Amino acid sequence: MAANSRLLAGRGSLLARIVRRSFADESGVQKATPAVGEVIERHTERDTIIVNRIEDHTPLAGVPEEHRGSRRVRIFIPAKNAMQSGTYGSNKWRMEFDARERWENPLMGWQSTGDPLSNSHVEFATKEDAIDFCAQNGWECFVEEPKKKTFKPKSYGANFSWNKRTRVTTK
Amino acid sequence: MLRLWPLARGLQAKQVLASLARCNSSAPPEKLEVFVDDKPVLVEPGTTILQACADAGVEIPRFCYHERLSIAGNCRMCLVEVERSPKPVASCAMPVMKGMKIKTDSPLTKRAREGVMEFLLMNHPLDCPICDQGGECDLQDQSMTFGNDKSRFTDMDHTGKRAVEDKNVGPLIKTIMTRCIHCTRCIRFASEVAGVDDLGTTGRGGDMQVGTYVEKMFKSELSGNVIDLCPVGALTSKPYAFTTRPWETRKIESIDVMDALGSNIVVTMRTNEVMRILPRINEDINEEWISDATRFAYDGLKRQRLTTPFVKNDKGILEQADWESALIKVAQKIVQTPGEKIGAVAGGLVDAEALIALKDYLNRLGSEALCTEEIFPMDGAGTDLRSNYLLNTKIQGVEQADLILLVGTNPRFEAPLFNARIRKSWINNDLTVAMVGSQVDLTYDYEHLGDSASILNDIASGKHPFSKTLAAAKNPMVVVGSSALQRGDGTSIHKAVSTIAQNARVQSGCGEDWKVLNVLHRVASQVAALDLGYKAGVDAIRENPPQILFLLGADEGAITKEDIPADCFVVYQGHHGDRGAAMADVILPGAAYTEKDATYVNTEGRAQQTRTAVTPPMLAREDWKIIRALSEISGNSLPYDKLQEVRDRLYEVSPNLVQYGEAEDANYFKQAQELAQSVSGTIQEKPLTPSMQNLKDFYMTNSIGRASQTMAKCVKAVQDMD
Repeated sequence: MAANSRLLAGRGSLLARIVRRSFADESGVQKATPAVGEVIERHTERDTIIVNRIEDHTPLAGVPEEHRGSRRVRIFIPAKNAMQSGTYGSNKWRMEFDARERWENPLMGWQSTGDPLSNSHVEFATKEDAIDFCAQNGWECFVEEPKKKTFKPKSYGANFSWNKRTRVTTK
Repeated sequence: MLRLWPLARGLQAKQVLASLARCNSSAPPEKLEVFVDDKPVLVEPGTTILQACADAGVEIPRFCYHERLSIAGNCRMCLVEVERSPKPVASCAMPVMKGMKIKTDSPLTKRAREGVMEFLLMNHPLDCPICDQGGECDLQDQSMTFGNDKSRFTDMDHTGKRAVEDKNVGPLIKTIMTRCIHCTRCIRFASEVAGVDDLGTTGRGGDMQVGTYVEKMFKSELSGNVIDLCPVGALTSKPYAFTTRPWETRKIESIDVMDALGSNIVVTMRTNEVMRILPRINEDINEEWISDATRFAYDGLKRQRLTTPFVKNDKGILEQADWESALIKVAQKIVQTPGEKIGAVAGGLVDAEALIALKDYLNRLGSEALCTEEIFPMDGAGTDLRSNYLLNTKIQGVEQADLILLVGTNPRFEAPLFNARIRKSWINNDLTVAMVGSQVDLTYDYEHLGDSASILNDIASGKHPFSKTLAAAKNPMVVVGSSALQRGDGTSIHKAVSTIAQNARVQSGCGEDWKVLNVLHRVASQVAALDLGYKAGVDAIRENPPQILFLLGADEGAITKEDIPADCFVVYQGHHGDRGAAMADVILPGAAYTEKDATYVNTEGRAQQTRTAVTPPMLAREDWKIIRALSEISGNSLPYDKLQEVRDRLYEVSPNLVQYGEAEDANYFKQAQELAQSVSGTIQEKPLTPSMQNLKDFYMTNSIGRASQTMAKCVKAVQDMD
């Protein structure tokens, strides 16, 4: 049972936090709740443990031992695809792990890798979130700031200017 | 009502006068407020509606508009409704006006987009399943987002559907011209950025065709960029044709090493193979373009590779070996040899981690003979002052400059994107360009001062009329090509150039912040090697012939068998079986730039890191790890085990090497120039001729390019055309 509740605490840490936020004030003292709330309260008291902010998620995250301390994470905003004009793909921060070895699988000739994290695709709204996430999982990380864009005023009239080299041959 | 009309006109005139008075005031132009979907945004006057919408976070669909090309306004996809305007407005070409109310999501806008889409699709083939653009096609995406869901297409027999003959524009670009939607981006790129007015249109309306008029190759070092620009699948990559789909691949953001600029690239990988290379935006370096060598030389990464260590047997034949025996063989030799009898030469594609590992190792053994293949004058201040060997003004500085003097360089092929930047500034900022050196086609006009190097002395001493032009310039730049410094009188050339630059700096009154002297390197490793204290040029090896010579990716033939004693033991470490490997006694297979997390410093002194895209083939390993292993076997272990520890060591030697993305300013120009005065020697009369004269010289400049079939096809295509 004890093991079970520990497991629940790990699995349901998000749930626990949501519950804590809605039913407890800053001091952790339970608010007076209406009748329906009482039921839920009893429920939460039994099944969840209210925990403080976890600084180290490694025991709970389920990441294999060998991928905890040794990985290096790059936090970045993906570059816009040069083939297209849309920018939807380059708005959010992403994390990317250092590449591990890939090899040709002797069975089918396909590529294999022993790296479970290479396929992870985690996005964050801010880089601080990403740094925080890496810190909680024990990954060393570095941030690559997005490249600055410069504003260039553009004018259709420049195509027809008579004394500048911006005059175009193709109109 | 009629009687009131003149009164109303009078009122309007008053308003016009008031607004004119506002325009005449000398205050800086105030920002205009416009409303995009009722959301207010403040923009600079002269901004187009499309740019204002982008500021407000609304992306307007477009085909012909491109940020870095002139405005064409012919695709009409960017039509938006503007309040009180009778018709939808092409937002890419229309400047904003005060208080303009733009509606990007109104029924009228939607209907306009649907109409444009319908016209485009009427003559566009339903090729998507077999089209290489599929999955990253603007037409595909925008027809899904903005197109109509119903079809009014009735010509089911396809009697009138447009069909256009494909063009042959060379070995890099595949054309399927039926797919063309006439956005003219490729034409504008060719004439504005590449400076090769080869592409154009013939015919009108339904018969319009984009092409080269007569069948010929699109002869430009930047030609591959039209593949990215093409919003549909009309121009696609020939080497990449039918290989992968964009959703199957991993994209790894990395750095290019084909020239010394360090263009930002995205390496696309599938099944542990580099499938293609695309540019990544970096306004400081390559903007949005890359050169053809960068884009297409990747097939060289799969050929001629060293995949296993080799050791020469008793008969003098290289035999495959395992790592253990190869490393032990080298370590034994090293242990038997006195330290000062060991030398090393680093080539042009080596990363900073491998350079520091090799330098630390050989220093520990007691050797100081570490050289680079590329020569740089070591007399005077030599490489002690960083300002002496950097592109100090930075690539972006070209846009602030008003005068550039090029000395003995052909930037078009030595650094194509630097040349594109000069051309951009030449077009937009009326930049003046002058050149000392062989007359070559740089795609823009320049004043040719002559090809003799002795002209430099005249300019330096003020005798040449150009000295006055230089002194009158506000922000002058003097760019000397590394190829000019390879000559025997390189020291004197560098001295003359630094004098010219220093004079210009003092006389032109450009201020302390503006740097004038610039060195344009040709290879990616040179600045990092000089930062780390490598000796430039192989003179040290020639003067003091070693018993063990360590070639770290040195493939350009600076040192040959004739330069070293017959019994000299040559170790080659690198990724390609090229000239260096041919003379080696032991070969240690290393990793190419797509196969390691490594640091490269570009000609501005900007450190950038590559990312591992694919695993090195078979037994090949990352370079610094090989040297680290060798050091341990020979009983002289280097004190780092992890990449981060190597980078900490780089930081110890020179902090700028790990400040990624930043180009640290160098200074002490005056002192460097004063030290240079102590150097004796005269400039020879022979002409300054850069090694790359024509396009055919551009493709194969390093071991990767020489192993690439695509590059070989390019050379052949250019030769056939000439």
